[in-house]
Amino acid sequence: MVGQQTALAHDDAVEDTATPGKEIAGKSPTQIAFARLRKDKVAVVCGIVLVFLIVVAVCAPLITRAFHIYWDISDPNAPNVSEVVDFDGFPSVGPPFHPFTWSHPLGVAPKVGYDNLAYLVYGLRTSLLVAFSATIISTFVGVVLGLMAGFSRGWLDRVISFVTDLFLAFPYLLGMLALAPIIVSRFTRDLDKLARAQLITLISILVIFGWMGLARLIRGQVLSLREREFILAAEVIGVPTRQILFKELLPNLVAPIVVSISLGLPGFVAAEAGLSFLGLGLTGTPSLGKMVSDATPYYADYGLYLWLPVGAITLLTLSLNLLGDSVRDAFDPRTRR
Amino acid sequence: MFGYIVRRLMSAALVVVLTSMIVFLLFFKGPSNPAQPLCDLNGKCTQEKLALLTEQLGLNDSVVHQYGIWAGGIFHSREIDFGATYTCDAPCLGISYRSRGQVTDELFEKFPATISIAVGGASIYLVLGVLLGTIAARRRGTWVDRGLVGFSVFVSAVPYYVIALLVWIYVSLQWKLIQDTSYHPLTSDPVHWFTGLSLPWLVIGLTSSTAYARYSRGQMIETMGEDYVRTAVAKGVSQRGVVVRHALRAAIVPIVTIFGLDFAFLLTGTVFTEQIFGIDGIGRWGINALRSPTDFPVVSATVLVAAVIIVIANLIVDLLYAVIDPRVRLA
Repeated sequence: MVGQQTALAHDDAVEDTATPGKEIAGKSPTQIAFARLRKDKVAVVCGIVLVFLIVVAVCAPLITRAFHIYWDISDPNAPNVSEVVDFDGFPSVGPPFHPFTWSHPLGVAPKVGYDNLAYLVYGLRTSLLVAFSATIISTFVGVVLGLMAGFSRGWLDRVISFVTDLFLAFPYLLGMLALAPIIVSRFTRDLDKLARAQLITLISILVIFGWMGLARLIRGQVLSLREREFILAAEVIGVPTRQILFKELLPNLVAPIVVSISLGLPGFVAAEAGLSFLGLGLTGTPSLGKMVSDATPYYADYGLYLWLPVGAITLLTLSLNLLGDSVRDAFDPRTRR
Repeated sequence: MFGYIVRRLMSAALVVVLTSMIVFLLFFKGPSNPAQPLCDLNGKCTQEKLALLTEQLGLNDSVVHQYGIWAGGIFHSREIDFGATYTCDAPCLGISYRSRGQVTDELFEKFPATISIAVGGASIYLVLGVLLGTIAARRRGTWVDRGLVGFSVFVSAVPYYVIALLVWIYVSLQWKLIQDTSYHPLTSDPVHWFTGLSLPWLVIGLTSSTAYARYSRGQMIETMGEDYVRTAVAKGVSQRGVVVRHALRAAIVPIVTIFGLDFAFLLTGTVFTEQIFGIDGIGRWGINALRSPTDFPVVSATVLVAAVIIVIANLIVDLLYAVIDPRVRLA
């Protein structure tokens, strides 16, 4: 890693000095980090895989329409369950038991009879939707609370820090599990809105247990930054507090925020699928975790059914995690893997 | 030192009290009507029955009063009345809606399984992780190091439950290598206890050891570069002596800190492990209680106990820090 670092430094130096005729352009730390990231092969491969998965998730309705496949068997256009599933509940069309057909490229689910490809792409959509929303909201909450705590010192800092510690002491997995049914039962009584209520509940639970790490980090950073000369100077010449927070402090916090986002995303993906796997997350919306738990009993006879969601979750979390590691290395050259 | 301990104890107690309030509010004020699942459990739930149960459970009283009764039960026995009257001995965490047994008794009954899983898994990952990390640090830059780091990055990137599920399916069900995964009490059947838990231990141990390997590798690389390590090498201490006595002893301090918290989280419910391998511990008990109709006394007890364990672990880690690291001075 040290060798690589000097190589990187060397590259940067070459870029700066190789073209003497050109105007010397300043690079922001973010630009330098992205330049490093582009040179990282693992990051590039993971980035491509992720873009592909995101495109698939965004285009899920187009894909299902193109193939005429349905994840929801109650859809009026969907084939009758008895057409795709035989008497014992085993699929009667599609791989791996029957020849490949374009109408069911990855086969159908036993018993319920929905199309595996349709369920998979919609499950991916849910995973990414939940993970991205949870990341954005919890990042926002973490940054705002961290800024407030770090900048105010006094009692507000003590209150926020105490609440942060309190949440960190809460057993998050059990807390998440226990909160889900309560929030859902509180806010919905009719089944039509259940799916949406579950989705919102899931995102809020992930946010409730996901903001503390960043809030702590930002607070620490702000505590050290606010003693620096440029902040003191801004205070002396009477820059309004809001401007100091957002124009002076926030740009200096880009690196930790980006790193925390990139490391937080895979965690949220795993958490969403995990909760659904336990049967306590989403029931009305397709979810990769739910597909895994549905497919578990068929591991021996219908391995494809199990490996589809397992493979999708693994691919998604693996590429997000590896990309996150690369982002961290790119933004913080001191880290050693 | 003494002042620090007192302050630390007081703040821990405050956190426990606040957590108990949060737990109480969550489970006895959060649901639209906590008596609903109880009412659903025995036959058809009529309006009168629901109203009667709500009254009997004291849900019409003020929140403060209800919390007082609920928290008071932890210190002295109380009677709980729904349908029939149940005596609940101290420490009382309520009567399970479903089994109609005392929650505390069931908690003590389920806890050994979770403790067994946690202790076994944690000892494997701590030893294995530190060992692999030390090896990787000693052979830094070689293929051993790169292989270990690459493998650990890969394993920690895949969600734990995916690995556990695949291991259970293939090792236990398909290839029948270790068939028996279940919990037998250590006191009655030590051999079965060991064989039944060996697979969960291995899965927890191997998956979590990767994080420890990476972490202890980083720590070891740092301490191996210290002057006193160079001094030890220069005065002719053996390779092993340098690594074990000089470098590892310093490197292990932050590892112990993380281990304490990890272990506490493991104790609070190895939810996925218990669910996948079918072991009757706290995690599975909590999950089953959550299925509708929700068994609120059980759920609140698991969350409360888990929170208390984490607070205690935090406390122990903070205090232990001063003992194992002489550089830390507490004031």
